[in-house]
Amino acid sequence: MQFLADLIVSGLAAGAVYGLFGMAYAAIYKATGVVNFAQGEVAMLIVYLTAAVFLRVPLPFWSALLIAPLIGIATGLVLDRLVIRPMVGRPAFAIVMVTIGLAVMLRALIVLVWGSELREFPARAGEAVLTFSGVGLYPVQILAFVVLAIAIAAAWALLRFSRMGLAMRATAIDERTATLMGIDVRRVAAIAWAASAGVSALAGVLFASTTFVGPDLFQAGLKAFPATIVGGLDSVIGSAIGGLILGVVENLTGGYGDTALKEISGFIAIVAVLMIRPTGLFGARDVERL
Amino acid sequence: MPASLTATRHPTSRRPIPLLPFAILAAIALPYAANAYALGFATTIVITAIGVVGFNVLTGWTGLVSLGYAGFFAVGAYTQGVLATRYGWPLLATLPAAAIVAALVSVLVGAPSLRLRGLYLAITTLAFSAIISHVILLAKPLTGGSRGFSVARPSVLGIPLRSDAAIFWLCAASLIFAVWLASNILRSYLGRAFFAVRDAETAARVLGVDVIRAKLLAFALSSAITGFAGALFALNQRYLNVENFELLLSIEAVSILIVGGVGSIPGVIAGTVFMVLLPECARLAFNAIGGSLADLAGAQEIRGVMYGLVIILFLRFAPGGLIDFWHSGRAWLRRWPCTG
Repeated sequence: MQFLADLIVSGLAAGAVYGLFGMAYAAIYKATGVVNFAQGEVAMLIVYLTAAVFLRVPLPFWSALLIAPLIGIATGLVLDRLVIRPMVGRPAFAIVMVTIGLAVMLRALIVLVWGSELREFPARAGEAVLTFSGVGLYPVQILAFVVLAIAIAAAWALLRFSRMGLAMRATAIDERTATLMGIDVRRVAAIAWAASAGVSALAGVLFASTTFVGPDLFQAGLKAFPATIVGGLDSVIGSAIGGLILGVVENLTGGYGDTALKEISGFIAIVAVLMIRPTGLFGARDVERL
Repeated sequence: MPASLTATRHPTSRRPIPLLPFAILAAIALPYAANAYALGFATTIVITAIGVVGFNVLTGWTGLVSLGYAGFFAVGAYTQGVLATRYGWPLLATLPAAAIVAALVSVLVGAPSLRLRGLYLAITTLAFSAIISHVILLAKPLTGGSRGFSVARPSVLGIPLRSDAAIFWLCAASLIFAVWLASNILRSYLGRAFFAVRDAETAARVLGVDVIRAKLLAFALSSAITGFAGALFALNQRYLNVENFELLLSIEAVSILIVGGVGSIPGVIAGTVFMVLLPECARLAFNAIGGSLADLAGAQEIRGVMYGLVIILFLRFAPGGLIDFWHSGRAWLRRWPCTG
């Protein structure tokens, strides 16, 4: 019973990081109808940039959770301006291909610039294990929960109450009508990219601080991909919850099955979810008109 | 949403291929004219072209994006390797077997994911590629796990395939066969159904096209040809390792399609030549410049940067691909000197 509780809690902690990645995927998909296959690579780039800052200026770990999103927002805006905006009005297929191109390019450029060795993230969150009724947690794991909770609350409030959130929801429903209503669709896309990169920066830093800063960090984004499918590609908050589910599923297969199965359990979950409920648990069913 | 990148139109009439006799002659002559290094490149180009001709059936003609190219290529390669090396099957049995196994696997992957529209196939095929690598790693007795294993080169009708020239001829003949097969299917009912599904899925359904069946057939056909190319790769390579089949291979297929011109078979060939030779030309150029660039020349990462850059730049500035340059160049020549 204790083993099960341990698995579930540490699964939820891993899932919180997946959930942040899932939110990042969903933000872009919701606003632009594009799956950003470069999400993990964007996060990796931001982590490297953040680590570069922390190597020069010794700052406490918690400040990374403020600095990384800022670097992330800047990165997101730059990538949108350079790579995505020129493609406005082109079929979604073409833009998705561009994100695939961006992914391989970033992956290779990072190795060329920073080398391929693994390094520790310069700031650590502390190793003291905190115990809650028998279940031990690292500070980073608790931070991941807190960050996810704040991100969910912020996303909900922004989408629900702000003018920009309304514009985003309108664009997601019908881009052409939104344009006719005076919404600057390109600005919506830019903000979605900035927000997505900011959230994935948090995910990346939390993930890197428990593992390493290395050129295969982008795998975290890939592994988190099932989160947004389980939760619903067009549901930002659903994707966050999908991440928690994914983390627990992975940990349970790892704990009771074997480790090789753990690696691919998320992808098996994708296939299962697509067969039963193609739009994910919280996604909206869409109707196409001729 | 039309999923196509370019408005490649369905060829309604049968056009002869004027270059075919020249292509056959060139293929026969090449091993005598080229040195081993050039022949190696030629074989790689031909094998890659076969694989991408298959990929084009799915992504170019039916408008379904797949990131599972590397997975089906691996299925074909390992089917060939395992059947030829562990069970001693003859080549005339292993090559079709590789195609059939790849097609069957694709139906397994496609059945749940092709009922959905849009990008879901890209997602499930991405998942499939990850799963296949794990299966290969786990099936140690057959595949040698992470160490890989060496593949036997069997004989065809008693003629041993020892020389690289023989492999090249086999691959070249296969490419011609694959192009012939694909373009004939394109002109059939099925080919028209593929285009209809790509350009207006709902309308196709209304007009009586069995959309799911058309998609599944496109996927199976595409994977069979890709698996066949994988089998040839195993023959040529002689040693199989999971690392040969990473995601970068799928990206290479995507980039070839975009560079050549999505949906066009001559485009696939042109794109393959371009993408296989590009890293090599870059290596030579970097070496010629010398200095710190020469150190970069051999790096695997250069390939990644190039694939990415080529995909982004072509989509941005030349979404029709190389084949579009060819068409507009020919149109310009025809109007010359009245061009303005």
